[in-house]
Amino acid sequence: MSTGTAEVSAAPKAGLNKGRVLGWLQEYGVYAAIVVLLAINTALKPSFLSVENFRVQTFQAVPVLVVALGMALVIATEGIDLSVGAVIAVASAVIPLYLGYGSIASILVALVAGALSGLLAGGMVAFARVQPIVATLALMIGLRGLAVMANGATAKSISDPVLLGLGLNSWLGVPQMLVIALVIVVIVMFVVRRTTFGRQLMAVGDNRAASALSGLPVRRVLVTVYVASGVLAALAGVFLVGHGGYADPANYGLNYELSAITAVVVGGTPLSGGRIRVLGTVAGAVFMQLITATLIQNNIKNSYEQMVEAVIIVGAVYAARGRSGR
Amino acid sequence: MSSTPRRRSARLVVITGAAVATVLVAGGCAKSASNQASDSPSGDTKAAGQQRVADAGSKGPTCTAKQYGAPKVDLKKVTVGFSQSESTSNPFRATETKSITDEAKRLGIKLIQRNANANVPQQNTDIQDMIAQGAKVLIVAPENSDGLAPAFAKAKAKHIPILTIDRTVQGTACSDFIGFIGSDFAGQARIAADDLGKALKGKGDVVVLQGTSGNNVATDRTQGFNKEIAAKYPGIKIVASQTANFDQATGQKVMEQILQSHPDVKGLYAENDTMALGAIQAIRSAGKVPGKDIKIVSIDGIEDAVKDVVSGVIVADVETNPRFGPLAFQALSDFYSGKGTHTTTIIADHHFTAANAKEALSNGDVY
Amino acid sequence: MAQRQPADPAQLVLDVRSVSKSFPGVRALRGVDFGVRPGEVHALVGENGAGKSTLIKVVTGVYQVDEGEVRLDGRPVAFGSPLEAQDAGISTIYQEINLIPLMSVARNLFLNREPSRFGVIDSARMKREAYEILRGYGVDVNPSRPLRSLGLGAQQMVAIARAVQIDARVVIMDEPTSSLETREVETLFRVIRRLRDQGIAIVYVSHRLDELYEICDRVTIMRDGETVHVDEMARVDRLQLIALMLGRDLTDVRQHGATAFAADHDVAGEPVVRAHELHRAHQLDKVSVDLRPGEVVGLGGLLGSGRSETARAIAGALPLDGGSVAVGGVPLRRHSTAAAIRAGVVMLPEDRKSDGIIPNLSVRENIVLAALPRISRAGLVDKGKQDEIVEFFFERLRIKASSPAQKVGELSGGNQQKVMLARWLCLNPKALLLDEPTRGIDVGAKAEVQSLIDELAKEGLAVMLISSDLEELIEGSDRIVVLKEGRMVAELTGDAVSQGALMTALAEGDPSPTAGDGAQA
Repeated sequence: MSTGTAEVSAAPKAGLNKGRVLGWLQEYGVYAAIVVLLAINTALKPSFLSVENFRVQTFQAVPVLVVALGMALVIATEGIDLSVGAVIAVASAVIPLYLGYGSIASILVALVAGALSGLLAGGMVAFARVQPIVATLALMIGLRGLAVMANGATAKSISDPVLLGLGLNSWLGVPQMLVIALVIVVIVMFVVRRTTFGRQLMAVGDNRAASALSGLPVRRVLVTVYVASGVLAALAGVFLVGHGGYADPANYGLNYELSAITAVVVGGTPLSGGRIRVLGTVAGAVFMQLITATLIQNNIKNSYEQMVEAVIIVGAVYAARGRSGR
Repeated sequence: MSSTPRRRSARLVVITGAAVATVLVAGGCAKSASNQASDSPSGDTKAAGQQRVADAGSKGPTCTAKQYGAPKVDLKKVTVGFSQSESTSNPFRATETKSITDEAKRLGIKLIQRNANANVPQQNTDIQDMIAQGAKVLIVAPENSDGLAPAFAKAKAKHIPILTIDRTVQGTACSDFIGFIGSDFAGQARIAADDLGKALKGKGDVVVLQGTSGNNVATDRTQGFNKEIAAKYPGIKIVASQTANFDQATGQKVMEQILQSHPDVKGLYAENDTMALGAIQAIRSAGKVPGKDIKIVSIDGIEDAVKDVVSGVIVADVETNPRFGPLAFQALSDFYSGKGTHTTTIIADHHFTAANAKEALSNGDVY
Repeated sequence: MAQRQPADPAQLVLDVRSVSKSFPGVRALRGVDFGVRPGEVHALVGENGAGKSTLIKVVTGVYQVDEGEVRLDGRPVAFGSPLEAQDAGISTIYQEINLIPLMSVARNLFLNREPSRFGVIDSARMKREAYEILRGYGVDVNPSRPLRSLGLGAQQMVAIARAVQIDARVVIMDEPTSSLETREVETLFRVIRRLRDQGIAIVYVSHRLDELYEICDRVTIMRDGETVHVDEMARVDRLQLIALMLGRDLTDVRQHGATAFAADHDVAGEPVVRAHELHRAHQLDKVSVDLRPGEVVGLGGLLGSGRSETARAIAGALPLDGGSVAVGGVPLRRHSTAAAIRAGVVMLPEDRKSDGIIPNLSVRENIVLAALPRISRAGLVDKGKQDEIVEFFFERLRIKASSPAQKVGELSGGNQQKVMLARWLCLNPKALLLDEPTRGIDVGAKAEVQSLIDELAKEGLAVMLISSDLEELIEGSDRIVVLKEGRMVAELTGDAVSQGALMTALAEGDPSPTAGDGAQA
């Protein structure tokens, strides 16, 4: 009946060159941009390459990176998780409440809270078939309120040595939070590339209908990625509490969902699902941090930062679209 | 696919939701911490538990009930409504509300109050509710300079006068509202500039952490500081001026960056205390000693910051006085007596320095 | 090629002349002629891909013609959009009703031409008029109700009423009865007859033969983008109609040669799959099918007869209102694809692109996708087993790819289909359900797939075959179950598995007790 079955193969059109350029940009653009930014900053101020500066940038970039890794998993299933900022707030609300049981206990409780919120998001998406953006938007609003309610809107200062250590100290010269983040990067890469689950994750993100017809545990995959995203966001909350030395549910994690999505997209993971770039995501987070550093260190107005970020996002999405041709 | 998993899913969702809520709210052993304060305005000098609040200067023409077109009432016989803009978990707001409440009680005036929790539409509703409840006079701490027009228009139509405190609103004094009582934000900044100028002996690079862009408080505090420095301290150079949104974490982040590009800065001016607290954390983790390597001045006068004044970490802190009770009710009484109240009243702000901070803390003068 | 009824162009309200329309890779319409007279109900029929939809879209301004012209009342027209066509008097009623569900019935009826006074909608008058108009269509509802609160039949009436209200002279109805209850169909037909008597031309697209014979005056049959026959409805008997749609000459029913199937298979033993009274509203009506080892069971039927639905139901991919599926005598406890796959029942879906391949994954990953649980240990894929499977099927199915690491999306249709088959075969299934296994693949691959099906059956696999290629169906199947409107109407076995018998069954099979004249042949 529908003669429009015309299997329009995504035929490479005239703009093959353009496609190739965009493809290169999507694949390697972010690494090139990092090199360029490093070069500019070093030229302006050689001390940009100092250990001290590296530490500062690390402390600021790692929480975003950790959230972005979870976000990348969710995006690979063609989803989105807007609740991560609120989960950070929840984590920061929970930590002071449970510090009495010890620092490790309070961190674990924060991570469990993140997992529960991910379970809720994943449950809504996988079983109730709520659109990811709607489900996680609801959580974003609800959890922030809950976090403030649980802890009061006032910030609470934290002097627990373990938490502060995570936020500020180093192991053998490497910031603790960076060590943990790198371990997570390795784990995510391993899961995505080597495990059965990783294979299922890509399949579900690429073609959910076909995956379901092939008997894949589609729902379990979806719930798992949202739980992972929740746990990682909570971990970012732990880092932020440790670095700031206080817990502030009303303000912690604001706009983190946007920073994380930006890092993922800039890193070359398409929003259309089915693919993930773990190292790209790391590079995306690093790149965004370098942008911030470049602007602030050169005393350029913050409002420009937002504009620059907007341009970068549009550019990254354009490169991705132009390439996949979808 | 059949209906069973669906139902199970719904249950799963509900159970999980309940679990999240339980974990968070049921709480555990609390280990409480200190706090943070406001980006807000307002203040007094000879502040005190006893509510001695000074008028630090009044400007503009006076306004009386007759000029305003409000029916003459006896304050002691009517209901006064107070609309608070933000949650009292913020110490500034808590102190402000308490000041109004205490003064009303002292004067034997019947007061009803609402809190809009930083939500402009909610504040519109609050104001209209209080009018419906029979309030004949209103004191409003506006959340925003515009956005409250509907509620103000309603009050005006019913000839109910409104006195605004701590933030200004759009409109004409003695017509849309009686007048404004609050801090002189530019004045606060000038005091802070002088403190910093003296601490640095008129020489050195300084950093400014600005409040939220576009906020009139931030604008006044930036301009007041810049002008004063330019006029009196030619040896002081502002090498970086960045917004940190009146937020502690952002203050820390921005300061961390600035310290990388300007390791030699000698002074910091933070437009509120929370940003200063964040910046202090950044200065410490950069291996510098706040108060020694970098002199800090700030505004608001919250407890944590004043403690830092005592310990020498902060050179001086200009208060934003939230104790509006006495001035507000004095203004209303003048308004009705025919004497008239000025359309702009500046509340006197405390000025915490090494000399008086300890005493102020022990006297409970700090909110 | 076909006999044409010469029609006086002057009396045609809609006159499509030698229209051609191509899409990249497909010539959808090749010089199609189509004429509709005022005051007639004109059936437009054809199988999948015949070009009906494209023709309708050309007439209603969704597509522009490449060659030829469309005339309305003798004047050439070229509509830029469906709205322009509607303004000119051509309205389309789709099966998904294109009104605004949340607006009131009255607003929908008068959308964009509301009665107004001084620029303000006169809603009282609008409601009054809407009520009167709809009563004329047998719809007695409060016009203030939102449209979506009405039944589908009533909604369709609102759509038709709206079309007539805007002075339509040609109303195109695309499968208008597909979601209607019997009673609603009767009302619809009453309305159609009334419109016809008012001189409105109705183009009626449907696969339900009974309806065509009941309501239509003339018929245009399309096949492969061409008009193959135009006639009075009553002068075309059912068998002839089907033969024309399917492109088979009744006197030339070939036996063998066109396909790669060998002779019949030895069918042995108890059924491995028993599907019992599968039921789903509007789609399946108590369909029961048994599949035995070594047997290829064909599902016959026209478009919309429930063939794919039957396969999907057995494979656990279609939620059921009733019925059961048992594999090896054991009923499946959960109705899900995973459960069916575990039990050994797998399905090659009809739409390879949207339901089959995972385009960005490699050939290797696509092949072992469903087998992941079996080749994983501790959550890790056993590379050795994986490569073994992939290598074996690469060879057996002669998959042409640069390497197993190539993305499936980059392969040709035929090779994608082989990858899909490999995905299922590597599970060692008991029953294989094939929905259009050779559609859209080249001739060589087609023959390969066909002989593979043969081989698999010989090896003892139970196969269910759905194909709109009649030769493939007849030569490939040992037995054919014929479906019509979601019901079984005939079962052909042995020598009865022939084109003649199949077409007779398609034409005569009488699924609905209310249907009238089923004895045309």
